[in-house]
Amino acid sequence: MRARWMMVLAMLLWTTGAWAKDFQVGFVYVSPVGDAGYSYAHDQGRKAVEAMEGVTTSFVESVPEGQDAERVITTMARKGYDMIFSTSFGYMDPTLKVAKQFPDVKFLHCSGYKTAPNMANYFGRMYQARYLTGMVAGAMTKSNLLGYVAAFPIPEVIRGINAFALGAQAMNPKAEVRVVWTKTWYDPAREKEAAKSLLDAGCDVIAQHQDSPAPQEAAQERGVYSVGYNSDMAKFAPKAHLTAAVWNWAPFYTEMVRQAQAGTWKADSYWWGMDKGVVDIAPFGPMVPEEVRAKVQAAKEAIGKGENPVFVGPIADQKGVERVPAGKALSDAELLSMNWFVRGVVGTLE
Amino acid sequence: MAFVVRKRREPLPWWGSCLVFLGAVAVALAVGGALLSFQGKPAWRGMGILLGSPVGSVWALEDCVLKAIPLFLCALGVGLSFRMAVWNIGAEGQFALGAVGATGVALTWGATLPAWVLLPLMAIAAMVAGGLWAMIAAALRVWCGANETIVTLMLNYIGILVLEFLVFGPWKDPASFGFPMTAEFAPAALVPALPGTRIHWGVVLCLVVGVLLSWVLRASRAGFEIAVCGQNPAAARYARIPYAAWVAVVLVAGGALAGLAGFLEVSAALGRLQPSIMTGYGYTAIVVAWLSGLRSGSVAVVALFLAALRVGLESLQLDLQVPAAFGTMVEGTMLLMVLVGGFWTRYQIVRRQA
Amino acid sequence: MTAEMLLPVLAAAVQAGTPIFYATVGEILMERAGILNLGVEGAMLLGALAGFWMSMATGSPWLGLAAAAGAGAAACLLHGVVCTYALANQVVSGLALTILATGLANFLGTPYVGLAAPGFDPMPIPGLREIPVLGPVLFSQDVLVYFSYALPVAATVGLSRTRWGLRLRAAGESPTACRAAGLSVARLRLGACLVGGMLIGVGGAYLSLAFTHLWTNGVTAGRGWIAVALVIFAFWRPGRAMVGAYLFGGVMAFQLRLQAAGTAVPSSLLLMLPYVLTIVVLAVSSRWGRFFGAPAALGINPEPSE
Repeated sequence: MRARWMMVLAMLLWTTGAWAKDFQVGFVYVSPVGDAGYSYAHDQGRKAVEAMEGVTTSFVESVPEGQDAERVITTMARKGYDMIFSTSFGYMDPTLKVAKQFPDVKFLHCSGYKTAPNMANYFGRMYQARYLTGMVAGAMTKSNLLGYVAAFPIPEVIRGINAFALGAQAMNPKAEVRVVWTKTWYDPAREKEAAKSLLDAGCDVIAQHQDSPAPQEAAQERGVYSVGYNSDMAKFAPKAHLTAAVWNWAPFYTEMVRQAQAGTWKADSYWWGMDKGVVDIAPFGPMVPEEVRAKVQAAKEAIGKGENPVFVGPIADQKGVERVPAGKALSDAELLSMNWFVRGVVGTLE
Repeated sequence: MAFVVRKRREPLPWWGSCLVFLGAVAVALAVGGALLSFQGKPAWRGMGILLGSPVGSVWALEDCVLKAIPLFLCALGVGLSFRMAVWNIGAEGQFALGAVGATGVALTWGATLPAWVLLPLMAIAAMVAGGLWAMIAAALRVWCGANETIVTLMLNYIGILVLEFLVFGPWKDPASFGFPMTAEFAPAALVPALPGTRIHWGVVLCLVVGVLLSWVLRASRAGFEIAVCGQNPAAARYARIPYAAWVAVVLVAGGALAGLAGFLEVSAALGRLQPSIMTGYGYTAIVVAWLSGLRSGSVAVVALFLAALRVGLESLQLDLQVPAAFGTMVEGTMLLMVLVGGFWTRYQIVRRQA
Repeated sequence: MTAEMLLPVLAAAVQAGTPIFYATVGEILMERAGILNLGVEGAMLLGALAGFWMSMATGSPWLGLAAAAGAGAAACLLHGVVCTYALANQVVSGLALTILATGLANFLGTPYVGLAAPGFDPMPIPGLREIPVLGPVLFSQDVLVYFSYALPVAATVGLSRTRWGLRLRAAGESPTACRAAGLSVARLRLGACLVGGMLIGVGGAYLSLAFTHLWTNGVTAGRGWIAVALVIFAFWRPGRAMVGAYLFGGVMAFQLRLQAAGTAVPSSLLLMLPYVLTIVVLAVSSRWGRFFGAPAALGINPEPSE
């Protein structure tokens, strides 16, 4: 009851303008926040922003990419939001369109490549964490076949699969990654079936780029290992879960809002990685031996210091054609548009 | 004292359906409000936002119209077949194929043809593609007696996968950084906005199609035959009306209308084809068609109303963090209540005569 | 393809087919009584949510199963009441039920996405599991699959050998004759909704309690519609429904295994297979089925009489 009165009071004050206006931050999500997956990870970041002094946040979930996104973002801008995060690739053009109409509002778009004077883009170098999880998987496999349940063939996912394969090959040159596309982000039944199909094909570690933990369950039921994604999925498959590649948006989001409040924010391209803590790996399961842990830890430090850019030559593609010459590393633009598989990945790109 | 149900000699006139519609809306909102307060959210304020925000500004009203356009066209299409008790629930897939057809033309001739040739060509391609997609269901229904409800529904899933196959494969824009979307359309392939507004010319197209269709249904022989087929297939056959042919016609015409909606969405709203074009207009259209009692004029009103609900729902999410599924639930409740209410327009309960 | 590769596909076919099988038998019962229910998808989804929620709240998947049956029955009874008492169009009422139940389940279920609940795990039957081929395919499943093996017999006997079954079919074939014999068509039809709805709810719960132990928005992903199509394929006979359901389960499992084996066919095309198969099966069986025929009064609401 008391909360409701406070709310009414707050509304009255707000509508009469007597309230000192908070810094308002809006988030647009592509899926429901409850999915324990991609949007959930962003929403954890939002909660960290909400806890900041003088800041209020809100979000809209399940916003289709396209016309609806444009309307939602415009609504936020019109309602006086100061900073708007649109967290899915498909929001890029709508965000840009709205950003041009509201030059005073700060826009940040996740996973795209376009910017404007008041629109930044950002993403996390998830492939760094993927590489490390690949190392663990490569060390633990006995059949040398790793299964990867993947959502859609877009660069972000392809990059992750490639990094995973490179990591696995760093520990085990014979490791091969089998890919199954589900064309869903969150459909536990289909994803579990996909994981089982990989297990039947002889894979003995299952990794995933899906939001549901169903592939983890499948691995545990067969008594083999699994690698999670998004957040620590150990609770879904304690006996199978080796580690997971996890998001942690809080440091980035709070820093952006802090800069905006201080007036130092710039519309840049932010691509934070392991060094800033935006991506990480979850704690190892008890079955991961000490020597593997040590190697992964060493690689993690090297990545954090920038000594190992992951995609460094020589790298050949599926057909064996050299894509990255020895000693060269892929540029950020090349990484963002990656649409080929490295050698050792078995699967189509459609 | 006992009561019995008796059929009315004449169903209640138009005001009966109006009352039923309003009653259904009231019940649906009441259920929605109850669920909101069940989740600890302020119900009255929620309803205020849901109904108030879509009409709160010119800008929001424009949005309602924009969203109502595809709903209107799809609902006209499915409504046409509902008149004949042919249950086409495949507007979603036909919409996808329409978008695919229009995109095919835009990508092939976008750079070479002027807008006045290109846009009609895109519209025709969309209608043909949507129509052919519905033709599959029509052919199976006419030749095999296959239930068109299931076939059109399965074609929805397949149609969306066709669209995905194209944008993930052959049609993927090489400059899109590998993301699943076609290249941006050439300016000639974009439906322009009405001067001074954000509403595109599709709204004029809707008016023309709506007027034309209600004229055909009301005043032409075709309309008469469809009406007979719908009310009494046996009588239609007796009167030598080609029932099977009309089944095919309403299905294909419905597909063409949904395809047209797909064209407008891809050309006016997005300017390129991408999977996110599919947002369930085809399913909402079923609700629109039935709520409007299958009258073309009412279809426009109901399409606007449901579009407004969707716009209001976003504000509701933003202000009260209500899950997105709230809208679907309200729509379903409304539809069910209109069905229940339809009872009163056709029957009455009277005291049993001793 | 070797036997080694085939066995897992067959086992997966049985598992993937089971939720569809439950729902198909439920729908057959309703249609035999004259109620066409296009709300299967929605009722299954509500069942999946109710089962998951109850299992999570109490820790007992059996209570979850009961809740799922209750939710499925409630949803189908709502449809039954709207059709038999308000005399509403059965097709539209079914669609309305799907829209309403989908919205309701996703609305109420949002807080539970991403959580796990106790469910049913595979429980191979000692002895029987050793049988070559049949053992790994049929007898290394979970308990809900074993229950489903009894369904065809139970439903067939129930429909053709019991008094209730005969009356129920009368309500679907000739409501007027039924009424003339002094039976209440409405009560018989609602009875079918109750039992059929329970099976449909269990079918939904199979997805959230046995197939996976997770709930998500729209977890049924079109399986309810496939069940409606299978009723026609099965010519309204529970035994044939089993064949159809496993056929579908097999195609669903098979197309993912084609990908895992490294086939170069684009995944979008492979994912179409179950839906294309539904259409083909429906077209073929409808052509034959004209002579087997649907219940004569399917989808027809008898007019109230004085």
